[in-house]
Amino acid sequence: MENIKEDFKNLDLTVGDVFSKDARLKARNVNVFYGSNKAIDNVTIDIGNKEVISLIGPSGCGKSTFLRCFNRMNDTIDSCRIEGKITLDNENIYNEKIDVVPLRARIGMVFQKPNPFPKSIYDNVAYGPRIHGLSENKEHLDNIVEESLKRAGLWEEVNDRLLSPGTGLSGGQQQRLCIARAIAVSPEVILMDEPCSALDPIATAKIEELIHELGNEYSIVIVTHSMQQAARVSKRTAYFHLGKLIEVGKTKEIFTRPRHNQTEAYISGKIG
Amino acid sequence: MENKHILSSFDDDLKKLNDNLLKLGNGALTNFDSCIDNFGTQDIGEIDKVINGDIILDELDDKVQKLGFEIIALRAPQAADLRRIIVALKIATIFERIGDYSRNISNRTKLLVELNYSDLPGVNIGKMGQKTITMIEDVIDSYVNEDDKLAVKVRNSDVKIDKMHTQYYLEIVASMQRNKKLAPTGAHLLFIAKNIERVADYVTDIAEQVYFLVNGTVLSDHRPKADESSLIIPEKELKNEN
Repeated sequence: MENIKEDFKNLDLTVGDVFSKDARLKARNVNVFYGSNKAIDNVTIDIGNKEVISLIGPSGCGKSTFLRCFNRMNDTIDSCRIEGKITLDNENIYNEKIDVVPLRARIGMVFQKPNPFPKSIYDNVAYGPRIHGLSENKEHLDNIVEESLKRAGLWEEVNDRLLSPGTGLSGGQQQRLCIARAIAVSPEVILMDEPCSALDPIATAKIEELIHELGNEYSIVIVTHSMQQAARVSKRTAYFHLGKLIEVGKTKEIFTRPRHNQTEAYISGKIG
Repeated sequence: MENKHILSSFDDDLKKLNDNLLKLGNGALTNFDSCIDNFGTQDIGEIDKVINGDIILDELDDKVQKLGFEIIALRAPQAADLRRIIVALKIATIFERIGDYSRNISNRTKLLVELNYSDLPGVNIGKMGQKTITMIEDVIDSYVNEDDKLAVKVRNSDVKIDKMHTQYYLEIVASMQRNKKLAPTGAHLLFIAKNIERVADYVTDIAEQVYFLVNGTVLSDHRPKADESSLIIPEKELKNEN
């Protein structure tokens, strides 16, 4: 009979189950600093195998910073310092011996704004397999390109103009080209940082359908500002606020009866 | 609705929905209260007011349904907001049904006045009605104050109404058996007692919705019930009692 609204005074404690039985990625007590500014504060969470999880929270809450920790994209920022541990299949990705280039093939990324290379549609997709030495011959590479474009739902729209520039495609098509580029190197995890924020509703729906299908093969971590998108595409949702992971739970529970007052306030449009 | 939304027009919409729902709830309470009162006073003018006033409750229900539907479509409410709207849509329909029962009781009361009704032994419609009025008052309070404990208390109090209904059912049938001329009166009284019992059942549905609104979960235990009128043969029961 007790009220579900609990008074969580200890905000270091994330509400909900942060662990996953079949975790691929594990973040443990992760802190991220930009200079002296702490952007991520003691975050622990698992990303399950073939799980689509949304990271939500107000601007500046650290969700994109945290996403970029998973493929060491923050390494490119000089002032950025990371503490704690992140493992992929129990291997510490911040180990000095880890080469970030193959790591970023295993953990691919799709950005907010579609960023195709100034190359042909074919070369955009073929680029990764070439530099990672994944193709045996031209025919094999052709197959990888075709298969990746098919899985990205783009093949039917571009198969007659593979040598045209990728930048000539529409925004939605460019984003699907970027997804094809990411999956061409057979990743295990795909990170998506607001992948639909620059797209119209139809292009967004196509990407969301794609996320749904790709979720059967890959673990997908998606940062989104759209509550409805998080509700539509993910099975699990994590809410961040001021660098802390406030609550994690099944998406259908987070959006119907969140346990933490701050989660409730955010998804109801009461804090920005 | 403690914290305000960033988008103030969303709060305005929710307030409008809530105001109309409470208007409907209080209207249903007033009509039911009047129909019980009128059963005793047999004032035809007051009885007609309840009968003719039911349309206002129908209109308020339509308004709540329309507002709730629009808020879902335009605001995409989440969590407690979503629960509030779903609950409002459900309990508005229940209040409207309580209004229908009040009208039906009033129609039958009018006929009883024509039949020169006088009290049957062992039957106290006023008492049963008053207990049900208290349940409606309490359930509205539980909604307004988001008081889930009071809601559970209201839900569990229905068992008293069930027991009264079973008892009155036996008494009315016994009176009809003793004096066949009382059959038309008895028939209407049976319906009136049953209508009150159904109103109390509806109040428990509202109480369960209040619990869901506050907690986000449904009450898991089964509601206590004691209306046995559909399970017993009056003659046998009366013999057993004697």
